[in-house]
Amino acid sequence: MSAPALAEVAAPATAVRSPGLDPRTKALLVIAASAAVMGPGGLRFVPAALALAVGLALWERAWARAASLTAAAAAMWAVGWLLPEWWANPVTAVASLACAYLIRFTAAAGVGMHLIATTTPTALGFALRAWNTPRPVAVTLAVMLRFFPVVAAEAAAVLDAMRLRGLAGVGGFLRHPLLSVERFTVPLIAASLRASEDLSAAAVLRGFGSPRTPTALHPPRFGPADAVLVLGTAALAAAALLLPQPLT
Amino acid sequence: MIELEGVSWTYPHAAQPSLRNLDLHIRPGEFVVLCGASGSGKSTALRLMNGLIPHFHEDGTLSGTVRVAGLTTAEARLDELGAVTGTVLQHPRRQFFTDTAEAEVAFAMEQFGFPPGDIRARVDGALSALSAWVPLDQSLQRLSGGQQQQVAIAAATAHGPRVLLLDEPSANLSADAVDRLRAVLGELRARGTTVVVAEHRLRYLQHLADRIVVMREGAIDTEWTAAEFNALTDEALAREGLRGRVAVPVLKPAAAEGASVVDSALDGAPAQTDSSGLELVGVKCRLGGRTVLDLDYASFAAGAVTAVSGANGAGKSTLARIVAGLQRSTGQVRLGGKPLPRRARQRTAAIVMQDVQRQLFTDSVRAEIDAAGDGDGEAAMSDLDLAQLADRHPLSLSGGQQQRLVIATVRAAARRVVIFDEPSSGVDRRHLRSIADQIRRTAADGAVVLLISHDDDLLDLAADRRLTLRRPDRGPTNSDPTNSAPTNRDRTP
Repeated sequence: MSAPALAEVAAPATAVRSPGLDPRTKALLVIAASAAVMGPGGLRFVPAALALAVGLALWERAWARAASLTAAAAAMWAVGWLLPEWWANPVTAVASLACAYLIRFTAAAGVGMHLIATTTPTALGFALRAWNTPRPVAVTLAVMLRFFPVVAAEAAAVLDAMRLRGLAGVGGFLRHPLLSVERFTVPLIAASLRASEDLSAAAVLRGFGSPRTPTALHPPRFGPADAVLVLGTAALAAAALLLPQPLT
Repeated sequence: MIELEGVSWTYPHAAQPSLRNLDLHIRPGEFVVLCGASGSGKSTALRLMNGLIPHFHEDGTLSGTVRVAGLTTAEARLDELGAVTGTVLQHPRRQFFTDTAEAEVAFAMEQFGFPPGDIRARVDGALSALSAWVPLDQSLQRLSGGQQQQVAIAAATAHGPRVLLLDEPSANLSADAVDRLRAVLGELRARGTTVVVAEHRLRYLQHLADRIVVMREGAIDTEWTAAEFNALTDEALAREGLRGRVAVPVLKPAAAEGASVVDSALDGAPAQTDSSGLELVGVKCRLGGRTVLDLDYASFAAGAVTAVSGANGAGKSTLARIVAGLQRSTGQVRLGGKPLPRRARQRTAAIVMQDVQRQLFTDSVRAEIDAAGDGDGEAAMSDLDLAQLADRHPLSLSGGQQQRLVIATVRAAARRVVIFDEPSSGVDRRHLRSIADQIRRTAADGAVVLLISHDDDLLDLAADRRLTLRRPDRGPTNSDPTNSAPTNRDRTP
């Protein structure tokens, strides 16, 4: 009486614990954080965006994400900023340059992960409609939101299968990078397509994306949690502008 | 209520039609079962009834007429058809668009624009009915197969469709979950819902079905009334390639003891252990702050098939991942009496996944087997009837052929430990026997075989022993529906 056993580890045990934020607040945060860190002079905002991402992860009790974001940022800071000072050579210079970009992606992705983990497609669709977003765009974004966890679960399974076939080693990747990428992506695409076909068929049959005007059991509304988050983000942004920059 | 008149359908790029001149009339409130071998067209017929054909496969070729609740499916929009039909796919977990039972039950009504007060009342009613069987606060992906099935049926019927279509709903369900499914279908039938079920297992639908339609090669081969069906023996069903009563396998418990073990073969008796096979000694795994697997000792004989069963969260996947070297744990894993470190286990063990597409990496059958290892690839191909497919791309094969190919790679690599994960999902009697044969032959090669399955028919055919697991932090029974498993966040990379 069970789903496939090896899929057991692929989903959280309890339903998503959302801090009760309006999806529009979360979407705006993702856009603002991405624009700030990826734009010119974006490194100034990286610590603030990382603090925001870790704070959101803690708020939704995603301890593992909070820890891994912190660890990843610390590792990039060490390789990107400390290592070249201690041991300057072309290799560390290239690694430093890479980390200067990767840490921006990490910060933006950290904020995005909160949106993905805590927003149902229905809530996002409702919020986008409230902004008068064109229906094809709203439907596409909502489907993407639902599809991310599917792809993540399939990718984890494909990697497991590659490990058991001895295809996932670093040595093999360095010797045959294109072949390794192909061996990962082809089964990932095939398995994801298969999973997505059932998903989209079931959604369309239940009226998703139809010309009807949907309603919502829990219409998203701005609340005190949104106000707290907006104020906290504003404080972080102000600190980024006023305090000394650790990442320069 | 449902009228199919002279319907033929050919999928895009298919050489042969999947349905041929099909005529089928289903009355309002009638309960009809479509059965037949894999590929006979029963699932395709369901997709005609809910409009996925032709709307989801625009390049296919359709002739004839399909009308459902007065709508001609080729002309109506899919959401119009969805308003009068509810569909439950074979894998409910793949059709969930949300994460909770409440959101999933509300989903269709929200999309159809029901007033929020009406949605609230209907959702409350549905959740009230589900609450005795389903932990409502748990992620849908974490529920057992039977619980997911019940949520999917509630989500498909909450908006009040007049027709319910179910595609192999008993696939992957154990006997007790099938009993619950039968009760739910009985309630829907009593409410006057027209029900069409495509199914391999038939006996549980006895006393529910008004008519049984046996399909063969895309057309109706035989029809039985309820009385005629009730008079048929299981042997008569078997001659049609159909599965009758679910078997009740009688398996000896595997030699194991520990907090995770339900029936310890070592309790109160001298240990009947086998150091020539796979042994787990003091294996304990903690994830997310709790112990998910606790085995003082477990032994799996080489050349034998051990079924691993237990509710969701009982530790089946953790056990499989530890054995395959994909999960860290304390304790020791030995093979042939020698300790086997985690990395070495990755080179010694293999998993045949339920979705075998995930483990096909190359561009031809031959290349796939050559990449598997230095074993006798030609013999493996020949044994598994793949020689004539050697130059085909693995992703162009049928599901059954892909499964055989993965088994061939396992045999070519001469893996000494092989884990099968739910290998018989939704297959007919003939294919069930074929899969059981493959599992038996893998064990006959001398491998230690672990079979994770809830299909009692398969266990009856293929397994020698059974290890039943339970959550180690729960009491001696394993009936608590709130059982949960390690979370994704807890996963060790």
